[in-house]
Amino acid sequence: MSTSEQTGTIHADDGAVLADVAGMLRVILDEYGPDDTEIGMDTTFTGDLELESIDLVTLAGELQARYGDRVNFAEFVADMDLEEIIALTVGRLVTHVVMCLNSPENSPEAG
Amino acid sequence: MSRFLFVVPPLVGHVNPAVGVAAELALRGHRVAWAGEPELIGRLAGAGARVFPCAGRRAEAAPVVRPAHIRGPEALRFLWERFLVPLAEAMAPGVTAAVERFRPDVVVCDQQALAGGLVAERLGAVWATSATTSAEFTGALSGMPKVQAWLTALLDGLRHRVGDPASTADPRFSPHLVIAFTTRELCGPVSGSHGRFLGVGPSISARPDGPDFPWEWLDPARATVLVTLGTANTDTGTRFLAECREAARKRSDRLQAVIVDPEGSAAHHNGNGNGKESENENAASVEPTPDKDILIRPAVPQLALLQRAAAVVCHAGHNTVCEALWHGVPLVVAPIRDDQPVIAGQVVDAGAGIRVRFGRVTADRLGAALDSVLDDPGPRAAAGRIGGSFRAAGGSPAAAAHLEELALEAHR
Repeated sequence: MSTSEQTGTIHADDGAVLADVAGMLRVILDEYGPDDTEIGMDTTFTGDLELESIDLVTLAGELQARYGDRVNFAEFVADMDLEEIIALTVGRLVTHVVMCLNSPENSPEAG
Repeated sequence: MSRFLFVVPPLVGHVNPAVGVAAELALRGHRVAWAGEPELIGRLAGAGARVFPCAGRRAEAAPVVRPAHIRGPEALRFLWERFLVPLAEAMAPGVTAAVERFRPDVVVCDQQALAGGLVAERLGAVWATSATTSAEFTGALSGMPKVQAWLTALLDGLRHRVGDPASTADPRFSPHLVIAFTTRELCGPVSGSHGRFLGVGPSISARPDGPDFPWEWLDPARATVLVTLGTANTDTGTRFLAECREAARKRSDRLQAVIVDPEGSAAHHNGNGNGKESENENAASVEPTPDKDILIRPAVPQLALLQRAAAVVCHAGHNTVCEALWHGVPLVVAPIRDDQPVIAGQVVDAGAGIRVRFGRVTADRLGAALDSVLDDPGPRAAAGRIGGSFRAAGGSPAAAAHLEELALEAHR
């Protein structure tokens, strides 16, 4: 978990963020068992995980708690059309989070 | 005396509540007519009903052929693009003829019969909305402006073709009166731009007797759990029903489960069926008998059974949820698609049940949820509270009284 501090000097990478996001999704799905679905970059939110909009609200809260204001999930979703929401993968969210965390303008000082 | 035209889609769950309101208006001496699918309306409203036929049979098949795996936002797209909009275009000429010939004081438009509001507005008639579910009032798309824009564009195009092109009114929300078959105790705060929102509670009464049921099978020493996925979801329910059976079997010391299985898919899944048997209405009889713990029936007299039930496991269809709550029965809800996730959220927020994931839940988790709603007094108390709000909401007579008032205003 290399991204736990909101210091603005951290360098987030896909693997660490994926582990974070997958952990959040497992909490939301209430699934921890060895037989449960693997969550990878290609896992789709609606097709594979069957997440509903209420789950996305919960996820937004988890992301906020984890990363603070540097990651705005509501804006991320608001920018998507129906096709993009249908096709949304964990990987697209991870890439977005990594980009936000590594963006210099998005450091707490600039925010 | 006033004149009321009911515009309904070819969907049983949308016609039934309107039948109750229409009957109440007729009792009060008003004239009532229908615009919709004549055979269905005749069956549900009685042979004496005056029906202006609307094409809609072609569209009627659409929700049936919607592939079972389509859910979530994909189901939303399918519902609007492949069913609701084509249905409105197919119904518009019939609704136009009905309004021109019957000259109603108020057009009562089901929220999914979009032709009603659009045509009424074009012809200058006063119209009210009849909402058989409350999912449209929760602002589910408010955080998704591009999805909202897609829907607005669909409605704009439809209005241009069958409504008043100069208007911008949303045919889902009458600016005069919205009658919803729920209460705020269940649906929570109401959002959106529309006229007065009147929650009258579910339409429970006035249904013909249901199918036979072996009442002697019920063991008074054990709790009765009703498992049902409604009438439209059985093709997707095989796995879920199998998990329900397993959860119930493990608790046979304390409960009996009645599983509604119109297609015989639960028996099929058990390895007792084949393709031919699944087409057979009696496939459920393949189930090993006698079984003192689990009863599988193609159909049940649901309202009568709910008077005996201790819990309901269902897909969070609005009608089933409201019928359970009317009887004070707590729920385990496993929403599949459409409005069901929203309704499931309402049940959970009201404290009247527990949500599980339809496509993923295991017998263990399902059983734990069942134990909670059976053992914890909270869900039962919350269900009873909502049931009380339903009974106090006035039902069809309250709806009829407000429609009468609107008709009088229309004359002023």
